[in-house]
Amino acid sequence: METDVRTYESIKEWKDKNIASFLDDTDSLNKFHDQVMSKVFDLAISRVNKGSPPCEFSWFITGSGGRCEQGVISDQDHGLIYEISNVENDIYFKKLGEEVSYGPFIVGYPYCQGNVMSSNSLWCKSKHEWKEQLLKWMEDESWDAIRYLQIFYDARVLTGRNSYVEELKMVIYEYQLKHHTVLKRFMENVTHVKNVIGPLGQILVEQHGLYQGSVNLKYAAFLPYVNAIRLLSIKEGVYETSTLDRMNCLKQTKGYSKALNGCEDNFLTLLKYRLTLFQVESYTDTHYLNIESLHKEQRKEIKRILKDGKKLHDYMIALIEKGC
Amino acid sequence: MDVMYLMNSLWTMLGAILVIFMIGGFILLEAGSTRMKNAGHVAGKTVFTFGLASLVFWALGYGFIFGSDANFFVGMSEFFYSGELVKDSGLATTVFFVFQLAFAGISVTIALGGFAERAKFSAYVIFTILFGVLVYPVIAHWIWGGGWLAEHGKQDFAGSTVVHLTGAMAALAATILLKPRIGKYNKDGSANNLAGHNQVYTALAVLILWVGWFGFNAGSTVSVDGAFFGFVALNTNLAAAAGAVAATLISWVVLGKPDITTILNGALAGLVAITASCAFVDVWASVVIGFVAGVIVFYSTRFFEKKKIDDPIFALSVHGTAGIWGTLSTGLFATPELATVGKPGLLYGGGFEQLGVQLMGVATSGAYAFTVSYVILYIMKKVMGGIRVSEEEEIMGLDMSEHGNYGYPEQMVLEESNLRPVVETK
Repeated sequence: METDVRTYESIKEWKDKNIASFLDDTDSLNKFHDQVMSKVFDLAISRVNKGSPPCEFSWFITGSGGRCEQGVISDQDHGLIYEISNVENDIYFKKLGEEVSYGPFIVGYPYCQGNVMSSNSLWCKSKHEWKEQLLKWMEDESWDAIRYLQIFYDARVLTGRNSYVEELKMVIYEYQLKHHTVLKRFMENVTHVKNVIGPLGQILVEQHGLYQGSVNLKYAAFLPYVNAIRLLSIKEGVYETSTLDRMNCLKQTKGYSKALNGCEDNFLTLLKYRLTLFQVESYTDTHYLNIESLHKEQRKEIKRILKDGKKLHDYMIALIEKGC
Repeated sequence: MDVMYLMNSLWTMLGAILVIFMIGGFILLEAGSTRMKNAGHVAGKTVFTFGLASLVFWALGYGFIFGSDANFFVGMSEFFYSGELVKDSGLATTVFFVFQLAFAGISVTIALGGFAERAKFSAYVIFTILFGVLVYPVIAHWIWGGGWLAEHGKQDFAGSTVVHLTGAMAALAATILLKPRIGKYNKDGSANNLAGHNQVYTALAVLILWVGWFGFNAGSTVSVDGAFFGFVALNTNLAAAAGAVAATLISWVVLGKPDITTILNGALAGLVAITASCAFVDVWASVVIGFVAGVIVFYSTRFFEKKKIDDPIFALSVHGTAGIWGTLSTGLFATPELATVGKPGLLYGGGFEQLGVQLMGVATSGAYAFTVSYVILYIMKKVMGGIRVSEEEEIMGLDMSEHGNYGYPEQMVLEESNLRPVVETK
């Protein structure tokens, strides 16, 4: 796939031309997104126009990108970690952070509404500052702080030194080993699951709007799996980011194989459904799966996946509440 | 002066006050169920239309309903009621007049609910007059004024049919002719939830209406004899309670969460349903009637929405569907001891006779109210160059388009300035 990478517009053009080849497989679609982002980053470095970065660094993406679960269109979620803070480095990476947020926007990745982007000083820091920030967040235990920590735990390095993110995740793991309340706070941060199974066992669909008759896969199906698995990963010090990889690692940890039985297949199926939701004509990406358009067997399958997700989530809550 | 005469008058006057206060409930109900930009309009027009309906009732309505020299449709005396007291009456005629006026006012208020958020103010004016002359008095005469349905023994103690179904049928005609509000339906036919701006108003409205309903139903005894009003009040309260509980349960089961709007509609549906039967049925039956009303109102709102009939304040389901059920219910549950009008119901050995009368009453009254209202509105539409405001006016809101100021001035002016193009604010 030859590409002209001199402008963000040309990268966008290349991306739009080629993305269609990856619509039937989440794994290769995510690899393609990584490729696009790497090209954007390289261009951003040259646009900052100050030669090579002044010190070692790590540019990570997080959110669904970090977990390798992006759909066709997804928001930006990323941050920067650089080796040492000094005036020169701070100025350089501030500028680079702004550039690597602007670039993806032009290429077709909307700005993150929660401002989890390298242009935000909260997400662009030296390694030492990052460590202090993570510790502060864990001591703080506020709702926002815990939410940031969960976002950070999904970080995956795209460019630069791999070890920085892992070292910082280790800070979280070690802290929670000594301070049990933190894990509980993590859990309290994600206890809400959108209930989509009615008392009579029916799937509860949207009653109004454009997605009437549909179920929101993101909130009802993905999040229970993603959150439960992330929490268990924090607990066990699993540093992988994709939910499937995390599941694999956890299964090898004593006691989890029964609870995770079938979850991997369920999650893979969900990812497949997710890809079917992209509407080629309008180039819009949604999380709403129209239940009425499914066959009886598919409906049954979705219902089982939803129920299993809730079960897994409940298992995680019970485990963390028990404190083992 | 006779103590019973005074007591009856006093009790009925209290009933009239409670029913008139229900207009306040309707103001909050409609304002809360609609959007902020229409709130002032909703509040103001409801007071205005009650005023106008009162004058129409005084001039013609009362005479049409209760006057002598009646033809098939209406009576033909007592116009421009002078306040004269009828001799040997159980209560002061003036009190009875005010009580009946309040009912007429409620019926037109229900009808105008079908106009919500899109009708011209002038349409409210004309329709209030014509409804008060041509629609309400005819049905009230048929059932309460000694008309042909009264002769058949139609049971409608406080007006499930006369007040509620009549109002709802007019609202249905208006809703069909006005068509859905802008943004209610998407191109693919799916419906959007144009949520009302204040659920607390709506809940408070339901409570005001619930209390007012004691005037509506218990007051309809127009007598303190044997304190029978207490029995009627008991049935009324239990039906409202059962309606609220049933609606909560059904929405919880079907939607997965107890839906507030459905709960509120359930209480009102219970009240509407028990209105016909409150004096004719046993206490346990009032619970059943209210419970069923709470369930059917839930499905009714879904039905109308699916049929693309945009009913912002659920007048069709709460007053129409529940009104029909309430009227029919007395044909099932009326007991031999309590059926002072008509016959006992199906469950009490009365066979299908009373149920048949009730069905006939619902069908003919409903058809009359709908047809005449539809014709009136259709003619108004042609003559007035439409009864709906323009698209631009609907979007800016009826507060501004019809009255020139907002019900929530600070809020709406702020929103307006946010919408203004940047160049203008520089």
